[in-house]
Amino acid sequence: MPVPISEIVQILVAALICWIIFILVDLIFALPRKGGVSGATAIGTNIELAGGNLHGGLMMGNIVCSPDASAGTLLAACGVYIAGLPGGLFATVLVYVGNRICHDKGYAGTTGAFFATILITAITSWTVLGPELFIAGMVLAITTIQGISHVHASRLLGKLWGWRS
Amino acid sequence: MTTYLMILMALVAVLGAGIALLSKNAFNKLIGVAVIASGTIPFIAIAGYLDVAVAVALLLPLTTIMILKITVGDDV
Amino acid sequence: MIVSLICALVAVFATLRIVFEKSTERKLVYLNLLNFAITGVIVFVVGTMVDPWLAIAAAAAYFVGATLESNAIASTLAQKEGRQ
Repeated sequence: MPVPISEIVQILVAALICWIIFILVDLIFALPRKGGVSGATAIGTNIELAGGNLHGGLMMGNIVCSPDASAGTLLAACGVYIAGLPGGLFATVLVYVGNRICHDKGYAGTTGAFFATILITAITSWTVLGPELFIAGMVLAITTIQGISHVHASRLLGKLWGWRS
Repeated sequence: MTTYLMILMALVAVLGAGIALLSKNAFNKLIGVAVIASGTIPFIAIAGYLDVAVAVALLLPLTTIMILKITVGDDV
Repeated sequence: MIVSLICALVAVFATLRIVFEKSTERKLVYLNLLNFAITGVIVFVVGTMVDPWLAIAAAAAYFVGATLESNAIASTLAQKEGRQ
């Protein structure tokens, strides 16, 4: 099966856009400040004990325990891929419901989903990128944070949180 | 293309079964069962039974939460 | 399509990291990554074959259910650590 190089480059561009979206929205909603639920604090302190940054670890714990902007961006991309702008808005509503089910009082997931829906619809209308690239791009973006090295990712997030606070 | 996806998802499910069987810690076993479910749900979706896939995707986490409530006993 | 293959490969990668990771909390972080990848695989596999609202609802139901489950496991872990 020949590997299309131009499509790989497009996926990497989409991954960078998704990375910026969800990190920005999560930092704006102050996810690294404290653990939303007790499970997030447990994950954060475990990463800190392994040599990472506590605030970065708390943000990674919040990503695990509740739908945040990363989940919102992924489901928004899925919604836009399946049904265009109405699909993305429906996905935003589902993320809002998911936040309430997980006892999360914040709006990071809903805001991230809404913002990602608008952005992805705009980009797919005006450039050659298709919405399916953003789904794979979001999966790659979350791999860089939660899949490669928790210690180094938490230090990077801690540094970004230091600029915000 | 679907064949490649099915092979990879089967690999995920079998690895999950290995984790569930060979772990000593109870929480690691629960994580293994979650991995098995994550590998199996795409098969149900490929076959076209989307409502069955939604049922499994909602019932299995509920079962895990109930197991935790029964064995540990406090509010989770 | 190569995008569905990328999601499936990330899923296998996440599962392998769960196998070889010793700490249970960090297994939960890799499990979260697995949930992201499987949500992508479900969306590509279902595609536009069925009613679009049902497809989006199925992917969201899987993801929210998996997040609830990880939340419950992490909370119980935190409780056990607090009691020891």
